[in-house]
Amino acid sequence: MKLSLPKRKSKQAEPAVADGDAEAAAAEPGPSRSEKRARKIAAGKHHSAEGGKDVAGWVDSRTNSTGIYTALLARHVPKGTNWFYTLGSATMFIFAMQAITGVFLAMYYTPSTTQAYASITHLTNDVFMGEFVRGMHKWGSSLMIILIFLHMGRTFFFGAYKYPRELNWVIGVVLLVLTTVMGLTGYLLPFDQRSLWATVVANNITASGPVVGPYLADFLRAGPEVGATTLSRFYALHMMLIPGLIAALIGAHLFLVVKLGTTAPPWVKATRPKGALGEETVPAGVPSPDDAEVPVGQAAASEPTPEETPVSEPAADPADAGGPDAGNAGEEPADPGAEPADDGEASA
Amino acid sequence: MNGREKEEYLREYEILKKKGKPFFPYAIMKDSVMMVIVVAVMIAMSVIMGAEQGPKADPTTTTYVPRPEWYFFYLFELLKVIKPPALVPLATIGIPTIAMVLLLLLPFYDRGPERIPWRRPIATITGILVIIAMAYLTFLGANAGSPTEIELETPAQFERGKQIVAETGCLACHSIGENGAHGGLGPDLTHIGSKIPPAAIKRSVEIGPGIMPSFRDLGEKDLNQVADYLSSLD
Ligand code: HEM
Repeated sequence: MKLSLPKRKSKQAEPAVADGDAEAAAAEPGPSRSEKRARKIAAGKHHSAEGGKDVAGWVDSRTNSTGIYTALLARHVPKGTNWFYTLGSATMFIFAMQAITGVFLAMYYTPSTTQAYASITHLTNDVFMGEFVRGMHKWGSSLMIILIFLHMGRTFFFGAYKYPRELNWVIGVVLLVLTTVMGLTGYLLPFDQRSLWATVVANNITASGPVVGPYLADFLRAGPEVGATTLSRFYALHMMLIPGLIAALIGAHLFLVVKLGTTAPPWVKATRPKGALGEETVPAGVPSPDDAEVPVGQAAASEPTPEETPVSEPAADPADAGGPDAGNAGEEPADPGAEPADDGEASA
Repeated sequence: MNGREKEEYLREYEILKKKGKPFFPYAIMKDSVMMVIVVAVMIAMSVIMGAEQGPKADPTTTTYVPRPEWYFFYLFELLKVIKPPALVPLATIGIPTIAMVLLLLLPFYDRGPERIPWRRPIATITGILVIIAMAYLTFLGANAGSPTEIELETPAQFERGKQIVAETGCLACHSIGENGAHGGLGPDLTHIGSKIPPAAIKRSVEIGPGIMPSFRDLGEKDLNQVADYLSSLD
């Protein structure tokens, strides 16, 4: 897909600071670029094109929202990024949909053994769009499971769980478990025969587990039989605890995604310009003991490779609102040594 | 990955990132298209399949066949593959737990620098095999036969007991003759009468040993008929 945006727009959308340069800027001596920007903002010269310039400037000077914007939106995704990379955000999106439809369901649902079933009947048959919203929530749960597995498959086969993204994989697995727990706890809530007996079996299965099994099953059932207390317990887990944990962990997951960047597809390699570089890029003599920890954001930022120099150069000029990436956005990069950048889809 | 490989990776990544495109609008565009597709599928499924409501939960009638949500079928079927009662906890909790721990720790034992799928055949093949196994078990779960019919011939006086067994959903886990869950959660009952005395059969149905639910709520009369019918199977 080739988007041709009007040049002006892409310029506007690109603040002066290039992706990943926040760290580089911090390392520079003298007034950093963020300071310069802050001065510019303070002088009211920012967002001059917009009508609401004062409001924008006011908010900006208090929140540094351009900085947030830069970190979140202007960050680069690597060359070759393809449709497989949409699966994570699709999972997140469907979680948001579940939250929204769930709120509407909660407006009508009563978590008691005597009223749960009737409240669902009422919701399904009488409430405007009730069955539709229930259907969205019900089928959404299946879709979320499918998407989370696809997303996990993508990160697995792309080796995206390797250094430096190990932690993100671990968070992901916890998210996977929590998502299935959502499926399990939600299944009981309509309190029809299906719900009840599936839960009875699930509970017996839990109880058959070694050591903690019986205790966990007792805790979940909260009584001699699956019944009223079980229902309210599952309701609280399904409505509050688990979604809260999921939301928080998605936050952590995305924080790391933004911080570390998404991987490039493993088969996409950076071709180094011939001649000059080669050896220098990988300092052969550098003593690096096996398994030494290499903090992310340092190796690359502290020893700029020759490729980086021409790219980051123009960024030093704060007056250039287009920034170094405007060129990339509108057209192929003009890096003379580089192979023509491919569009990404080609390698999908 | 050793220190050098890590540095090399970061450097290579930095270059690829430079050559890439800004998240906005390029990646966002794809993400949004995907989200639109997801909502469209959600809406379509909701409109076409709706949200049916089953019969009201009734803890006293045990005539309902427990079926989990489809995405738990593979776990459910796993229980059926592993039969010896002593190993049931292994299937219920053991294997899923081990699998989850292995999954969680993956980045810590697979530490090689290689990322291209076809150059790390062990990981790739294992991944594909796991997917095939899960898909197969899910398929088995989805196709588990109708558990409310027993074709095996029965003398007339046991007809009533047979009917109760069929309706009560015993065949969700057990098999009798051609019918029911072959290799199911519970043992085959085709010859149960020759293995266990009638009183023990009745007791099992009543208390529900192991993961089997109790069917005490059938009531004394029905329980006796079930026990008589099962004892006739030899
Ligand atoms: C609620 C569930 C989840 C949400 C909302 C979510 C969201 C995301 C998003 C938006 C990304 C950015 C890149 C992409 O979309 O591919 C991502 C990356 C990643 N996710 Fe997830 N994820 C979830 C579950 C998981 C699971 C279950 C795993 C694995 C066990 C996982 C592992 C990863 C890894 C390793 C990355 C980095 C990928 C890369 O840099 O290429 N995530 N996640």
